[in-house]
Amino acid sequence: MQAQMKDGRVDWEGGLVQRAAAGDSRAFERLYREHSGRVYGLCLRLTRDAHLAEDCTQDTFINAWKALPQFETRSSLATWLHRIAVNVSLGKRRKSSPVFEPEPEDDEGGLGDWALETPVEVRELETAIGELPDGARDALVLHALYGYSHGEAAQMLGIAVGTCKAQLHRARKLLRERLKMEVN
Amino acid sequence: MSGSDERTVKSLRELPPALAPGRDLWPEIEARLGASPGVSTARQSAAAARARAASVRWLAAAAMVACVAVGVWVGRDLVPVGAPGAAPVPTASGTTSATPLSEGAAVDAAYVSDPRYRHQRAELMKSVQARLEAMPEPARAKVAASLAAIETAKKDLESALGKDPSNALLQELLINTYQDEMRVLTDVHEIGDPSRGI
Repeated sequence: MQAQMKDGRVDWEGGLVQRAAAGDSRAFERLYREHSGRVYGLCLRLTRDAHLAEDCTQDTFINAWKALPQFETRSSLATWLHRIAVNVSLGKRRKSSPVFEPEPEDDEGGLGDWALETPVEVRELETAIGELPDGARDALVLHALYGYSHGEAAQMLGIAVGTCKAQLHRARKLLRERLKMEVN
Repeated sequence: MSGSDERTVKSLRELPPALAPGRDLWPEIEARLGASPGVSTARQSAAAARARAASVRWLAAAAMVACVAVGVWVGRDLVPVGAPGAAPVPTASGTTSATPLSEGAAVDAAYVSDPRYRHQRAELMKSVQARLEAMPEPARAKVAASLAAIETAKKDLESALGKDPSNALLQELLINTYQDEMRVLTDVHEIGDPSRGI
């Protein structure tokens, strides 16, 4: 395999991307194995439906395969895949249950490290996140769980940065109520 | 939600971003990759189109060189050859022409002895040599033959100017030939730039 040096490390992914872009499905499978967990996790948290999330994950990788020749190798493949996953998930979610959700007003309350007052079981926390309204959950998942900045999350979701922050503020408030503890 | 993990976390950021789907999704993805003929066909078509475009660009460069060379040859045949000159003049290859040339003609073509020009040309020649080695054989042969033809035409013009130093048409043709050569070398250099996808 053709590996490249990136920041002093061997960049196997860059070589796999090049091979996949040239039509090598084995190389693409290795990229799938590397990234599918995070893509599926993102799709599942956005759709709250395991079957729909599986469909979204498959569509994400099919779309990625088609668009791979246009992928700029300078950017992060993970981020690129997540953008596709968000688009696919939001599209499928709108089709399956179109719900009008009023946008909250701009707010700066979405900052913080999302620390919990006391430890919480993963399952309980995932359930609480899953019960959030779509807009608040989308922003929370991208920002707090996947580490995207407000700007990146807003861009992925197609909303203004202020709206994204407001959704995070709302998510924090609702989580606080549901978990009955402070979320800082 | 498949977050059946009963461990506790102290921050949302500790939640695992990766979750495992209930089944392996790859076989279906792979089947869809293979089942969508548009994908592989389009990819092959794109590759073929890129190859065709590269070939056309090489041929265009070769044709351009050939046109310039032919123009110079025609010019040589049309312009009358006059009396021999005196002073030698550096050729485009950086060597000194064996054909004597008058001082006037040397002044007219003075820019070719400018160190900046000669340095730039030498750099270009080095690069073009490397590009030529990477070219497909037919295109390389055409470009090499054309460059040889233009070099011969330059020498002929210099020789003719040596015999008729005051011939303005010959002077102009020679200068144009040097300029055309630089343009062609630059084109070949740029066309063969790997960052441009050739």
